[in-house]
Amino acid sequence: MNDFETLIGLVSQYSPSGKERGAVEWLVARMKSLGYDNAFVDEAGNAVGVMGKGSKQAVLLGHIDTVPGEIPVSLTPPSPLAPLPEGEGKLYGRGSVDAKGPLACFVDAVAQVGVKEGWQFVVIGAVEEERDSEGARFVAEQYKPDFAIIGEPNQWDRVALGYKGSAWANITVKRGQAHTASGEQTAAEAAVEAWLKIKAYVDSLNANKQKVFDKLLLTLRGMDSSSDDFQQWASLKVGVRLPVSVSPNDWYEKLNEIISDSRLEGDCHLLVEPTGFAVPAWGCEKNTQLVRAFLSGIRSRGGEPRFVYKTGTADLNIVAPVWKCPALVYGPGDSALDHTPNEHIELEEYAKAATVLSEALKKLTG
Amino acid sequence: MSTVTCPECEAQIELEAGTEVGEIIVCSDCGVDLEVTALDPAAIQLAPMEQEDWGE
Repeated sequence: MNDFETLIGLVSQYSPSGKERGAVEWLVARMKSLGYDNAFVDEAGNAVGVMGKGSKQAVLLGHIDTVPGEIPVSLTPPSPLAPLPEGEGKLYGRGSVDAKGPLACFVDAVAQVGVKEGWQFVVIGAVEEERDSEGARFVAEQYKPDFAIIGEPNQWDRVALGYKGSAWANITVKRGQAHTASGEQTAAEAAVEAWLKIKAYVDSLNANKQKVFDKLLLTLRGMDSSSDDFQQWASLKVGVRLPVSVSPNDWYEKLNEIISDSRLEGDCHLLVEPTGFAVPAWGCEKNTQLVRAFLSGIRSRGGEPRFVYKTGTADLNIVAPVWKCPALVYGPGDSALDHTPNEHIELEEYAKAATVLSEALKKLTG
Repeated sequence: MSTVTCPECEAQIELEAGTEVGEIIVCSDCGVDLEVTALDPAAIQLAPMEQEDWGE
């Protein structure tokens, strides 16, 4: 065994969303071999490891799926047992950063801490995070932790305290055919007008906000138009990244309000249809013993801790509103490498993060 | 009760009983976030910097 066996083994199990089973079974076996009291595959297909039988519960939730695109697993230098010049030991492979690095780190840190009286550690490798977070939606109803740590790459010396929400909608305009010489507004023109109204509203709401985390981030993901003998229509695919102050329902209501205020000409009809799973933004409380334990752990390894707020979403957004306990997001790796062909993690950073996490867990449960 | 000096504005801040190491407090004079880094003797420093980036 070496300090990186869990990391290398897990990354070697290619597991894009929907094809996680091999990696899940490997991780369950790995947790058993590391001395977990129990390890199993739950009803949603998540890998779960339990250490301790106390009444207080800490859940460490990572995800075991990755985006598609297999990257040959390779080490630089070839063996992690070889002397590593500082910063030169790297593991390449899909998921090494997002987010098998953080998940393997959870597994190793809990194994290192072992059983703590009165506590139960639950480590979860959730499925489907890169799609609709089915694994996290399942575990949200299964546990009631005293604190939760979510695994995403944020560098070993940073603690993530917030992830934005997201919501998607199709906006469709339909109207009866009219002669092009009539001067009447077309469905395509009405759709463009609707988009400009939505954008103007978002721009006005963002005007005095300094932080990206507090803004609405609007994107037009697609547009289409067509017609037949009697009708013409146009559609927009609109996405938004939400701040904590605007829930998905708030957003959909506002979209409908803006659309209903549009002065449509002729017999135009506008329809807003939410699509996919909308998730609310979540900001973690930073004045908790959980956060303090991480600040202390990072400093004990010579780091200068920083907080980070992310413009994406994570399983934090799914479980935190349900669990309502102190929570944060932690994990080694540079998220700029997420989903890239060059995805890799530095072994030194991984080892530091595992130490920070185990020190934090000892402090919280000691 | 311990008194510390804000590194930003040099205001004198009294730490309340029960203050913990790692606790984030706010300077009542300048409003900056401060982290309590020790209690005996009491010490504070600017709280961890807040950053933003993408990723999910």
